[in-house]
Amino acid sequence: MATIIYISLAFLLIFCVMAVMSHSLLKSAIYLALASATLGVILYVLGAYWAAVIEVSVCSGLITVIFISAISLSKIKKEEVQKLYSDKKRMWFLPVMLIVVGVALIVLALANDLSLTNTAEKVTEDFREIFWNTRQADIIGQIVTILIGGIAVFVLFRDDEDKK
Amino acid sequence: MLNFQTIMLFVGFLMIIAGCYCMIRTYHMLKIIIGIEVAMKAVTMFLILAGYMNGHMGLAQAYVITAIVIEVIVAVVFAGVTIGLYKKYGNMDIRNLTELKG
Repeated sequence: MATIIYISLAFLLIFCVMAVMSHSLLKSAIYLALASATLGVILYVLGAYWAAVIEVSVCSGLITVIFISAISLSKIKKEEVQKLYSDKKRMWFLPVMLIVVGVALIVLALANDLSLTNTAEKVTEDFREIFWNTRQADIIGQIVTILIGGIAVFVLFRDDEDKK
Repeated sequence: MLNFQTIMLFVGFLMIIAGCYCMIRTYHMLKIIIGIEVAMKAVTMFLILAGYMNGHMGLAQAYVITAIVIEVIVAVVFAGVTIGLYKKYGNMDIRNLTELKG
């Protein structure tokens, strides 16, 4: 189990850095989808099956579709983005900073013998029981959030239609 | 020797740094959403890691699903604002937002 998690964590970090550093918005969206899929693997291996399924389907699928729709509606060329925002000059610093911080964290943890350990025995919990009964307020909050998001998108696109 | 929980904590921390760096250093609105998404992935991983360590994986999954719903709504609304910005100014530079009135 630990080997799969180590490999997935390496891929997750690489995909996230590539999503941030890529000069093409389309490639960034695809790297983000790959990062979501990799996170889904980690969640599944850790035993969070429902969260893994929703992470892969929603974050890796729906959000990528939203990004690609926004990119296709904008029709901005890659060269224009690079020229306008000069990401190439700005983003080289990120990998160096991540390597330095990562090495510093590992050295600090090894020097001080810091290591996270499981604090309790695994409790057998039924996810459906918790989600639908114990955390009912969360469901109401989610419904309200989805409605607000729908109304916000409707308002944003309605202004454009009124002008026509 | 570091165990995988500690390594997950460090990787999540690095992901948050990458996301914040993306949000700070770029003016492109879609790139800013990508930075937010990267940081949210780290938060999702932290929640599941906390559930795994405490043994309450069901509760952690409920929180993660709520976080994913909020993540999607944020992405949708930001994408809508981005398209509106593009239609008004012809680019997605977030500095244009300072010129809006009202």
